[in-house]
Amino acid sequence: MTPMIRRLAVLSLALALPFAASAADYKVGPGSTLGFSGKFQGQQFDGTFGKFDAAISYDAANLAASRFDVTVDMATAKTGDGDRDGALPGPDFFDVKKFATAHYVTTGFSKDAKGDVIANGNLTLHGVTRPLALKVAFSPNAGGARLSVTGTLKRLDFGVGSGDYKETSTIADEVLVNGSLNLQPK
Amino acid sequence: MPLRSDATRWSTVAKTFHWVTALLILGNGAFAFWMDGLKPSMRKIDMFALHKSIGLTVLALFLLRLLWRTIDRRPADMPAPRWQQVAAHAVHGVLYVLIAAIPLTGWAFNSAHGFPLQYFKQFNLPALVEKNPALSDTLGTVHVWLFWLLLAVLVAHVGGALKHHLLDRDDTLRRMLPFGRARRGTPTPPGDTP
Repeated sequence: MTPMIRRLAVLSLALALPFAASAADYKVGPGSTLGFSGKFQGQQFDGTFGKFDAAISYDAANLAASRFDVTVDMATAKTGDGDRDGALPGPDFFDVKKFATAHYVTTGFSKDAKGDVIANGNLTLHGVTRPLALKVAFSPNAGGARLSVTGTLKRLDFGVGSGDYKETSTIADEVLVNGSLNLQPK
Repeated sequence: MPLRSDATRWSTVAKTFHWVTALLILGNGAFAFWMDGLKPSMRKIDMFALHKSIGLTVLALFLLRLLWRTIDRRPADMPAPRWQQVAAHAVHGVLYVLIAAIPLTGWAFNSAHGFPLQYFKQFNLPALVEKNPALSDTLGTVHVWLFWLLLAVLVAHVGGALKHHLLDRDDTLRRMLPFGRARRGTPTPPGDTP
């Protein structure tokens, strides 16, 4: 390390430390779920992802230092219907051979009119990156914290559903995303 | 266009129920065998949805028809041996049961499979039974076999009508035909347009 780089490194660490130190870091513990709800032929169906991981830094008092980084294994989506679960990973929908994971990273936090915390971030799904806002409910508990998030995305924004499957009168465009994470200290 | 039937003829309402139901059932049956062979696709999903909506229409028409029967009259049976009249009415009874049972088993089949049921993309109907894969398979088989049974009973129904028309040369079939109003043996007087 040249002196210059060392100095820069020390400087950036010094700048970053106060922020990094003020938000607690969590990992995903057992009893966590991540799912989605869509509408098919006018009826809601609920899906869950069997495998996902998240690095959560959160401090309600220092939202600027908070951060969500979530990776989802798209092949693990299950909705309780054999036909649908067979079709979802295929090229018409998630196309997991090409896009194995979805990724969500926050870019910042804000509060809505009701005072609820909103996570603003970018979701990369099916190879397409679009902003996604999630409503956040965070409650610390003895073992860590419970983090609940909900948000709504439009599947066609991400190109999920190709060809005839773009038709929204049978498969609704709007998809509700929800997560309930049992967070443990890192 | 008489609204109600009388002693010698069927009303327009009764004829409409009869022929619309016949067309929908036979059309939807043929349609079902075609759509079943489609490759999995959005089109197949939409075709199945259409089949279900047509079936529900048959069921709705059947309920309206039962209601209508309670206020309508019926033309008298044409002369025939007593056993034939009894058989004809028994066949009607079985057809009525099947007209209701085929859509209902289809509906239950759909419910047991866990599919939604949406009427022409307008509104959803509730499930008749809980999701149950084994029951779904059974109901699917029953649904199809009831249709084959209906075709068999239909042979008797149509055969009887043709027997009256061709051998007895009476009005049994003619009075149910959409525009068949003239009575055999009482030709329309010259100059009188029907």
